Amino acid sequence: MNSSLHRRALLAGALGGIATVGLSACGAPALRTSERAATGAARAGATMRIARPAASAAETLDPASSLSAYEYLGALYNRLVKLDRAGETVPDLATEWSSNADATVWDFRLRGDVRFHDGRRLTARDVRYTFQHILDPDTASPQAGALDLVDGIDAVDATTVRFRLATPNAEFPSLLTAYQCYVIPDGSAGTIGRTGIGTGPFVLEGFTPAGTGRVRANEDHFAGRASLDGIEFYSIQDTSARVNALLARQVDLLLQTNLDNPTARVVAGSPGTTVARVANAQWYTIPMLATSAEFKDPRMREAMRLAYDPEAVLRTALQGTGTAGWDNPVPPELSAHLDHRREHDPERARALLRQIGREGFRTRIYTSAYEPNLTAIAVAYADQVKQAGIDLQITNVAADSYYTQVWMSRPLMVSYWFTGRPVDQLLNQIFRSGSSYNEAAWSNPRFDRLLDAARADTNETTRRQKYQDAQRLVIEEGADMTPVFGDRLVGLSEEVVNYDEHGFELDYLALGLKEV
Amino acid sequence: MARMIAARVATSVVTLLLAAFFVFFAVQALPGDVAEQLLGQNATPEAVATMREQLGLDTNVWVRFVEWLGSAVTGDFGTSLVSGESVSASIWTAFSHSLLIAVPAIVVGIAGSLLLGVLAGARRGTSVDSTVSVLALVAMSIPEFVVATVLVLLLAIAAPVFPAVVLEGPDAGVGDLLPAVVLPAVTLVAAMSAYIIRAMRSSTIDGLATEYAVTAELKGVRRRSVLWRHVAPTAVLPVLPVISINVAWLLGGVVVVESVFNYPGLGKLMIDSVSTRDLPVLQAIAVLSALVYVVVNLLADLVALAVDPRQRTLHRPRRRPVVAAAVEEES
Repeated sequence: MNSSLHRRALLAGALGGIATVGLSACGAPALRTSERAATGAARAGATMRIARPAASAAETLDPASSLSAYEYLGALYNRLVKLDRAGETVPDLATEWSSNADATVWDFRLRGDVRFHDGRRLTARDVRYTFQHILDPDTASPQAGALDLVDGIDAVDATTVRFRLATPNAEFPSLLTAYQCYVIPDGSAGTIGRTGIGTGPFVLEGFTPAGTGRVRANEDHFAGRASLDGIEFYSIQDTSARVNALLARQVDLLLQTNLDNPTARVVAGSPGTTVARVANAQWYTIPMLATSAEFKDPRMREAMRLAYDPEAVLRTALQGTGTAGWDNPVPPELSAHLDHRREHDPERARALLRQIGREGFRTRIYTSAYEPNLTAIAVAYADQVKQAGIDLQITNVAADSYYTQVWMSRPLMVSYWFTGRPVDQLLNQIFRSGSSYNEAAWSNPRFDRLLDAARADTNETTRRQKYQDAQRLVIEEGADMTPVFGDRLVGLSEEVVNYDEHGFELDYLALGLKEV
Repeated sequence: MARMIAARVATSVVTLLLAAFFVFFAVQALPGDVAEQLLGQNATPEAVATMREQLGLDTNVWVRFVEWLGSAVTGDFGTSLVSGESVSASIWTAFSHSLLIAVPAIVVGIAGSLLLGVLAGARRGTSVDSTVSVLALVAMSIPEFVVATVLVLLLAIAAPVFPAVVLEGPDAGVGDLLPAVVLPAVTLVAAMSAYIIRAMRSSTIDGLATEYAVTAELKGVRRRSVLWRHVAPTAVLPVLPVISINVAWLLGGVVVVESVFNYPGLGKLMIDSVSTRDLPVLQAIAVLSALVYVVVNLLADLVALAVDPRQRTLHRPRRRPVVAAAVEEES
């Protein structure tokens, strides 16, 4: 009797102890990261090890391909132009550009001092070849659709390239900043997938698809020599394995990896590793398929929009790491962004539903583990729209068939894109009627006409006004909601300095390891 | 004995065929296919149709299965739909990498588990038995990926003794892999040992209670001798099926463990092939796994035969009892 009482007390005490420890662990401090990653002097002669997910088992170094090994592209190649933080087009290989009066012919002047890694000089023919390769139907490049309007490309002389467009486009240079538009040598399409010969700050030393790769610094790069001597790329598909590699200091930086909040806390709290934030790098959308029976009626879509508060979704789903989208797909950083906050009015939503006879509307909202925050956003959104009496069933499906089975075929789902598209490409590629990337299958002729008018408008101020009117249309009548923009939480070692990534731009020149 | 083996070979071939058949049609039933997976978000219907044609996916499903069967019989498992490399080559590389983990895990795991099982059974009711049983139960209940993660935390991150992941991918040589083998092997041992320990423990307890063991004790044979010379060999018999199933599981499905460690073995190849719907690779893996199960079961039976003399006569054709009785009557 005595011994059994003693044992019972011991067990109870142990359980109580475990419960206390467990509960206190649940109150872990919120994620604290600085706005910008560490900057400073980089040590000479360093090699950085980067872990990334492979694009595919058949990935290639051909930038035009849909299976390109993205992380290598910015290191090996350059484009004619690139984007700055505000989404403005700035020079890269091209020093200046101009168009004719109606923006149907564009001339780009190239730098004269650029050489490819094999020693050949860069000329206009390489640029012409690059874009012919992108437009070639056999390449099936994702950017071919956006560059559809290109009628012909001429190499006027060694340093001048001319693009002739079928329809005017005053924002044409911004279409050349896409990450498919890296310049490859003339005639190299057959071998570029393996050789990676470009003009970039690093030269390829070895590459295995879905395996390891090595690049070394290009001593003759036109913009100066990179801080690093070399980079080693490792492909790790499983996200937790990638994070473990960082925590065990086998790698220094994780690219193309958005850490979910709990993992980010672990990485930030571990000795030797930290988390950097790329502001608003993830653009989350909730497309309502406009061709479906559920969302054909614009009043139904209006109700879905009015019913939720994006600030609440940001707080709950992303713990505040990001910005509320208010259904404007253009990220707040871009200079063309329209600062227009629509209303949040669940009562009006309820009234609208009553008006169209859809009170107590029920449907499924699809989500998956494809990206860590999709389900959190789905749950937060479903919770919000309850205020208008809308009942959404969260339906979790397999990640590996999410974009083949659910995207653009189910009425309601949560999706995401990376921000980084300039405003003209963004609105035309994802919101114009009939575009293959128009995920909500939204078709609004007034919107299309606005875009055409904007493209034909050579006056910058009035053109920007038109893009802002277009944004207003998307906010008020569109079918693709943008609840939030999320910060990308990037795991990296505390030794890494000058990590600077925005949109599809990563500064490979300044990236380095801290001086000892 | 020869008849037995012949019969087993015949059933094995049927098993292999069935495995290939089921995997083929199961993957067909999965939503999406290789063409859509390769093209991803950029899959327009025309692009998908073109790729399907290129990969030969537009022919009839039964025709494709029979064609595959025909070439598989000659040892040609085709080329991967995703990477274009020979399937036999990639499978063989992945399998040899998995063996680097599996063989030490099997040897250490089985030997250790059997010993611990006998120990726990012999000292039943004491603190040794309680400790072993509780630890075995805990190891059995915790999923492998949790064990793997804890090991990584303790032995790769907190104290950098072993690497947390394999960085090199499928190209890794044996030298790169050896330091990375320890943690996965320990995880697998932890996962499978519990079953063997508990089976061996109950088998030993039963063995110690049999008449011949009690008789031996009463006759004065030392306890240690009774345990190791008489009881243990017989106690192994009922545990052999458990062992063979665990071994086959190890070799065929270490998917989760290899994923956590990014280890380029057969399990990781299988996960990657399922998510890309790479059919030829999956077929070959299915056949290989079935083959492993069959071989391991056969080995288990042969070991049973070797250890237990009674089994050798079980399959001999019996003399008709009537004849024996008649002979007795006449004499």
